[in-house]
Amino acid sequence: MSEGEKKKGGFFQAIKEFIYGVAAHDSARFAMKSRASMEHLFILITMGDMLGVPILPPYYSLRLLPYVVPQISTWKRRMLREKDLTDALA
Amino acid sequence: MIDISLAKIFDQYPDRHYIMFGGKGGLGKTTFSAATAYYLAKQGKRVLVFSVDPQASLSDIFQRDIFGKGPTEIMPNLYAQEIDADRRVKEYQQEIRQKILDMYGMDKIPEEIESYIQAAAAEPAMEESAIFDEVVDIVVKGGYDYYIYDLVPLGHALYYLSMASVYDEWIDKITNLRQQMREYDQVAAVMRHEKEIDEDAILNELLYIKDRINKSSGILTDKEKTAFFFVVTAEEMIINDTVKAAELFAKFDVPLSGYIVNRVLSQELKGQHIPEYLKHRLTMQEHYLQVINDTFKNQILAYVPEMERDVTGLQMIEKLAKSMFDKV
Repeated sequence: MSEGEKKKGGFFQAIKEFIYGVAAHDSARFAMKSRASMEHLFILITMGDMLGVPILPPYYSLRLLPYVVPQISTWKRRMLREKDLTDALA
Repeated sequence: MIDISLAKIFDQYPDRHYIMFGGKGGLGKTTFSAATAYYLAKQGKRVLVFSVDPQASLSDIFQRDIFGKGPTEIMPNLYAQEIDADRRVKEYQQEIRQKILDMYGMDKIPEEIESYIQAAAAEPAMEESAIFDEVVDIVVKGGYDYYIYDLVPLGHALYYLSMASVYDEWIDKITNLRQQMREYDQVAAVMRHEKEIDEDAILNELLYIKDRINKSSGILTDKEKTAFFFVVTAEEMIINDTVKAAELFAKFDVPLSGYIVNRVLSQELKGQHIPEYLKHRLTMQEHYLQVINDTFKNQILAYVPEMERDVTGLQMIEKLAKSMFDKV
């Protein structure tokens, strides 16, 4: 593979990233943000009893527990946090 | 008084492999379960009678300690099983802990997670749902011609049934949510020109749970494969409660196969020299037998007499089976 080809690739890559940044980044960010909110909603309806909201018999929610271990702490923080005006800007 | 006998029902519907007796506590559900198992085993069918009650009494009736020992042979073709819900929950907790440790390469469960695991196991619904889950294992495994559920008293049985439908709806909802989340993942991935995203392990887990619950509630409400019998006695409160329960069961689409009247005092006693007290009981019984007859009409399948002693051990079970089925 020649130097030139690599450079060309780098150039197109940069264009690609630029276009992505201009056109799609916001949408992608929005999609991921919605996804994160849903993730929290999901944990709330499966693991709600952690916050003292008993939602369903826990046998099957235990089954899901291993998958949400990493999210648990951020989720609890988000759910128990006081809300203020700046939330609307986020 | 009986249009169709219990034995005939079993002959007529050979596809009904799942047999359940429901009724208030202490009316003879376990006794009838054992006697039916005995009868079917004598007919050459392979039968498993198992208890879904955390306070099971199959060990008492068969006079063998079978608690937590898996299917135990009582006599040729007849197997009995009492589920040790407590142990199952403990093993299950351990399984979850191990999975977390393996998935994240931890050597200790985080405190927050551990306390959740312990709190979850202490919930009263835990035992029931653990048994519920084990029943699916038993039924899916197969190997028997008949499965006889020694059910819990009515209230619990209704809870058990409603749990199935609640679970079902709940799982549907969160499966949908999960699927939506996946779509967002895909949108983000496409926009960022990423490769196909990983499989959603949680979605698969949910689909697995849904499948388990559907199997379980599917059996309870399968008209082709399930026979549900109510046990009643000739007493006002019991008749009233049974009528109510039957309506509720019908709402959950449980196929009712008929009623069995238990603890019938012999009318011959009347002509004998008996104390006042017993005479009153007989008159009362006569009245309520009539009520039962008017209420349940042609759905009454058997009248089983009050035995001279409690039904424990195979000999008494055989005797009871004879009066239920007119033959063994």
